[in-house]
Amino acid sequence: MNMEVKAQDQIAFYLTGQHNGSGLKPLDRSYRPALFARHADLTAVRYDFPLVLNSEGTPERAVLSLSGLVDEAVEALREDKDRDRIAQHGYALEREVRKELAHPIGRANGVAADFATLWNAAAAQLTVEDSTVDDSAKRLWALFHAKGELVDADFALPSRVVRHVWSVVQASKATAFHERAERLLLKLHAILDAEIAGSDKGRLPERLRAGLAAQAGTSFATTFNFDAMSRILIDAKPALALSEARRRRIQGIVDTIDRQRFYVPKTAVTGDTQAHGFVFYRCADALQAYKERRQEAIELLKALSIAELEVNGDYRESGSTDVDDQTSTSVPGHDMIFEDFGAGGLDAGLLATLPDYLVCQYSSELGAEETLQIVEALSTGLPIRVLVQTDDLLEPSGIAKANLVAPERHLALASRSRQMLDTAINLTDVFILQSSASQLFRLREALLRGMSYNGPAFFSVFSGSTGHNGDVPAYLVAAAATESRAFPTIVYDPSAGSDWSTRLAIDDNPSPQDAWPVHPFEYENETLQTRSENVAFTLADFMAMDDRFREHFAIVPKADWSEAMIAVPDSLKMSVKELAKGTIVPSTVPCITLVDENFQVQRAIVNRRALEETRRSHAMWHSLQELGGIHNSHAALAVERAEARAAERFAEQMKSLVTAPAPSVQPVKEPLAAAAQAESITVGEVAVTVAQESHGDDPYIETARCTTCNECTQVNSKMFAYNGDKQAYIADANAGTYRQLVEAAEGCQVSIIHPGKPRNPKEPGLDDLIVRAAPFN
Amino acid sequence: MNDTTMNGIAKSGAMTFPLPLAPVNVNDCLLELYEEHYELEDYQKGVPRWCTGCGDNAILTAVQRLCRDEKLAPEKTVFVSGIGCSSRLPHYMNTYGFHSLHGRALPIAEGIRLARPDLKVFVNMGDGDCCSIGAAHWIHAIRYNMNMTAMLHDNNIYGLTKKQASPTSPIGLKTNTTPRGSYLEALNPLSVTLGVSNVSFVAQVVDWIPKLLYQTLSAAYHHKGFSFVRIIQRCPEWLPTHMDDYLHDPQRVLLLHHENGLEIDSELAKRYTNMEEHDPSNLNRAREIASGSDPIPVGILYRNDDVPLYEEVRSDSRLRTTSLVKNGLEAEFDKFTIWPEGQTRAKHEAA
Repeated sequence: MNMEVKAQDQIAFYLTGQHNGSGLKPLDRSYRPALFARHADLTAVRYDFPLVLNSEGTPERAVLSLSGLVDEAVEALREDKDRDRIAQHGYALEREVRKELAHPIGRANGVAADFATLWNAAAAQLTVEDSTVDDSAKRLWALFHAKGELVDADFALPSRVVRHVWSVVQASKATAFHERAERLLLKLHAILDAEIAGSDKGRLPERLRAGLAAQAGTSFATTFNFDAMSRILIDAKPALALSEARRRRIQGIVDTIDRQRFYVPKTAVTGDTQAHGFVFYRCADALQAYKERRQEAIELLKALSIAELEVNGDYRESGSTDVDDQTSTSVPGHDMIFEDFGAGGLDAGLLATLPDYLVCQYSSELGAEETLQIVEALSTGLPIRVLVQTDDLLEPSGIAKANLVAPERHLALASRSRQMLDTAINLTDVFILQSSASQLFRLREALLRGMSYNGPAFFSVFSGSTGHNGDVPAYLVAAAATESRAFPTIVYDPSAGSDWSTRLAIDDNPSPQDAWPVHPFEYENETLQTRSENVAFTLADFMAMDDRFREHFAIVPKADWSEAMIAVPDSLKMSVKELAKGTIVPSTVPCITLVDENFQVQRAIVNRRALEETRRSHAMWHSLQELGGIHNSHAALAVERAEARAAERFAEQMKSLVTAPAPSVQPVKEPLAAAAQAESITVGEVAVTVAQESHGDDPYIETARCTTCNECTQVNSKMFAYNGDKQAYIADANAGTYRQLVEAAEGCQVSIIHPGKPRNPKEPGLDDLIVRAAPFN
Repeated sequence: MNDTTMNGIAKSGAMTFPLPLAPVNVNDCLLELYEEHYELEDYQKGVPRWCTGCGDNAILTAVQRLCRDEKLAPEKTVFVSGIGCSSRLPHYMNTYGFHSLHGRALPIAEGIRLARPDLKVFVNMGDGDCCSIGAAHWIHAIRYNMNMTAMLHDNNIYGLTKKQASPTSPIGLKTNTTPRGSYLEALNPLSVTLGVSNVSFVAQVVDWIPKLLYQTLSAAYHHKGFSFVRIIQRCPEWLPTHMDDYLHDPQRVLLLHHENGLEIDSELAKRYTNMEEHDPSNLNRAREIASGSDPIPVGILYRNDDVPLYEEVRSDSRLRTTSLVKNGLEAEFDKFTIWPEGQTRAKHEAA
């Protein structure tokens, strides 16, 4: 078969998706995108996974990276003599932990693993071969200050991370609530106690005696005449009594706070009513629960608000009217204000006091009704957190789902998560975070911000566990989704500002300015020489990883490769031009770069259907870029117009200059020349000063001339040290004696150590040392 | 499009050995899981046992800086040596290394180059190692012109055997083997190298000018072919004052500079004023310069980028697939495998 026929076969596949008995080979699971070639085994790579869901410390340390923890610990040991050994053991332990997470032994896959248990198990495993590992593991552990679950990128990761961050935020809310409640209850009880103490009943001799006894023990009980004291007190001071209304109000507040079920009480009492749950699997349930608890929430928030006024003595039951010369101002009473408390709905600021509702849903379970409920929940303005986890990003749309056979098959992606996201963005006051599981750690700060947001928050996370990617790790699938723009990273924070440019951030995507991220791909040719080419990672590459879309690709044998096979981004541009020209049969075919199971580079043609999906994905990304302020067409148009106007004005000015008489040139005045001279003098003086100040009497080394011969470092390793180029410098001139400086200078074979003058005039033998140092200064 | 097939992606093996010491940095690309960034310490292994003041330390530092600056993956780099003080260098490099037989560093390096052309090959030899027992290999290595950087650590003495005369010991030098002084004129490694056909890169440098040492090694590394660098070095233990005159008198070093050779920076030019502009493509002048020993010529004497490489002339057309490598290794192992009576590989595999 000659090359022309083969080229025609390739074009035929591109247009029809049919092989036609040509030499093209079907794509199977053994092929992987070229950029994945380096990651055959993720357990051997140091990267930000697995994550530690830390149950200690501040919310900012809620999600930690195992590698990050080890690096922090190693950094903390930088002055330690065993640092290198501990660091190497730390890396080895990390690898053991990764292996165990990836291939669990004695633990079901997907079940949460305890960080401490895995760390200790890894230490025990490695200690068999090297007894010092145990010590390294313990020292590192002491520096981690973290404990909790250890999670890898798998199907459970999104809900685990989101729930953990949610629970950390709720825990800090609970702490704040309990502190506030305790403070208020203490003061409210004090008010009630004061009433009793100030009443006639409280001044009876028995009560006074009991009070003193309770405070100071029994030793003074006989010292005082409590009967006399009681009489004096009753006569001297009128009885203090709370109004019945106030007493009831305060008692009511105390009871409401005591009975609240929004937070688990700090000290559980048997028979307590169980606290409310706030995690739901459907928005409808969350909304129903909110409705059921609404009255309870209003009562609690009302009680807290009144309590604040009561403890400060600011509560005014009835209103008052201030009258001045011309106007009168009426202030309503608190009774009236609180009578209708919450009737018009609770605002987000008040609701932030209470726990947030969390809903975790899978996008695959989102029917029309569920989607509507999410929209309803998000549009209420309530502090509800909705996580929608997507496992299958390339889920075919409804029209493609039926078991159709070619040519009825229709390639169309459902993009359910995309639809949900667009709706949420259009609600304008919803905090949105869209991220692949692989990005979650990098976006932990945004996640925390979303959890603390005063309003609804929507988290859309792609897990990478599609079930259609063979043995490619979920982390890589998730990362590929971000890289290919199939699942771009989006942070939309309504609290950041009032316009798109401040609210929407797409900077966390790879190469956000470009259509596709492009990466250098290195490989070796037949003679094992390294070659490099730039490879873009597009939706076509992402689709080629999926079992369901492999039929849209065909491997071209190496012998048939030609210049007509061009990369997908180039093909997208080319096809637009050809379409404009009305070309029916294209002159080129799009192709992607892959590697096979023997790590050999292969190229596959992408058919037109898959290319069209890639074009759609690109268009969606481009519109997102515009919203995010990148390549914004409105801005570009405005700039173009402004430039045209400026050019016009410039042309007009030039025209007027040409017609106007030439201005006369003013001679340079003397003072200007003098000033210039003065400047040069100043510059010269500075230069002289710099040259003179160089080292003075201080010792120094001509570091660039050091030959790393170890002479000086052996004299005193604290005084002399090596820099990053392993060349010596004086690390601390005070770390040794002048004698050592002189001896090092004498020992230095290239004579680059200059001892300077002695720093300690009392050092013995200075006279001799100064003579010896002279040749080196 | 012609460079098509590969035998294991270049970086595919990088993940297991050795672990990067640098902290994990998150890159823009999620598919780039680790950063290719190296520090000098990443190439350091163990504590050198060389004497304090030994020029080998300077050479070790220079090659470590070169590896770091060129971002050479340790698992894609190999240092081969023979026997001698200098030949301990591979022990102190955290790369692959081969401390081989006396005088046999070059043929081993050539074998590596043929079998694993993906590796960056460096060779470290002493003056005895290269110019005496390994002289035949040296001459043919020049002629074969295989892509590698060969460093001749020349201290004019056998240090490891405690001060015995080497082929480069100057006439009259008293050593344990020449107590009345060396009788023969010293061998000039530069002249020898420049006299061999197919020579493609010859340079000389001294260990006590670290900047030039680095620059010269860098130029040698970038040259495609057999780069021979003679490094004149000190031996503080056995010849403590041997180089002193050169060391302390900058005029006794002749810096060779050229736009196609080394470019001397202003700091060095201030100290070493004895300079000559020498075009490295001029072989005759290179031979003249090589024949002089005082002042010591330092710089690139000769460079010819057009000399064909043996590995390209005789490249193996078979693809180095994992199965090919495995079968080749198995065949080699089989030569030494003792099977139980009646057992063969075929039977063993069938079982």
